[in-house]
Amino acid sequence: MIDSILLVDDEDLFHLVFEDACSLLDISLSLNALNSSDEAAKLFQKWFQDGENNDKPECVFVDLNIIGSSFDGIELIRKVNFEYGNHVVIGIISSSNEPEEQAKAVQAGAQFWIIKSDDIEPRLEEFRKDYEGYKNRTLPFKVYK
Amino acid sequence: MIKLDKNSEENLINLLESKNIGLEGNIVKLFETENSDFKEYLIKCSNKDKDSRRKRLEITKKVQSQNNDLSILNEENQKMMNDLQSTLKETEEQRVKIEIQNEELIEWRKENEKIQQDLQKEMINSERARIDAEDAKINALNDLDILQKRNQTELISTIVRVALYIIVGVGIVTTGVYIVTLFSGKDAQIISAAWSNIIGILLTNSFSIVGTIMGIKYATEKK
Repeated sequence: MIDSILLVDDEDLFHLVFEDACSLLDISLSLNALNSSDEAAKLFQKWFQDGENNDKPECVFVDLNIIGSSFDGIELIRKVNFEYGNHVVIGIISSSNEPEEQAKAVQAGAQFWIIKSDDIEPRLEEFRKDYEGYKNRTLPFKVYK
Repeated sequence: MIKLDKNSEENLINLLESKNIGLEGNIVKLFETENSDFKEYLIKCSNKDKDSRRKRLEITKKVQSQNNDLSILNEENQKMMNDLQSTLKETEEQRVKIEIQNEELIEWRKENEKIQQDLQKEMINSERARIDAEDAKINALNDLDILQKRNQTELISTIVRVALYIIVGVGIVTTGVYIVTLFSGKDAQIISAAWSNIIGILLTNSFSIVGTIMGIKYATEKK
């Protein structure tokens, strides 16, 4: 089970869906959700500067297009991986399935890409099985369709 | 993990049984106990929480789906509105174009009417000119006819006058010869007969010529 998850998504309803799905599948005990990539970037910056990792999430799910943010999910992943040095399992959760965007996400350091849809539980279940591989950095980038 | 004392566990179990109030959320997963009743309580709470989460998940998904449908409908409506606005704009532009064309047509019609009126005036003038020309032609023909007749009359008059002069001359010469013959004492029998014949002929011709002159004069004066 993942200790804590951070979801960055502009859609409040999806926060509820994701939280309930994670709880039902016993994926995580704790889940925080943010609406903008700017807020998430600020938090990671703070964690990086403070050096305290107690409240830092173990895994981060980022939406690709976050309305109301100054940059998209791929840019947030790039910042987290290359600017804030926080070693978390991080990937995209989006309704988009564009190979070009996925290639960009890989370059930014994303480890997975989960396609958002009405039936998200099977993908999360599959992700849960692969999670240890992501945590150990042994599993390559994977798209959950 | 969290461990509770037996009393707290009993209180929680009683609360669930009496008022159906139990622990909810992921905290249920953190409790640890040796008490089989509390274990059963935790399983009940966990199942209850899962049931409520499942229901909420279904409802949330439904709402999300409806939101997506509404969003798609909204996009379609927006597109339709844009199309409608575009069509309205095009219609307005067409209306303005038609109005401009109508104004141009009205202007052309007015110009045509003016040209038509001018044309009618010119036709009337042309008709008048034609009538004047025809009158002038008739007058010219009349004048020519008159001139020709006058010339003819003058010619006839001259001929008649010359003929009269010749007759008078012949009469005078014949009379002179007859007088000379009478006063010279020569036989004048033949010449007297000839003289009287000539005088008779001359008189007849003279009256004929005078009549002709009078007729010509009368005709000339009448014209």
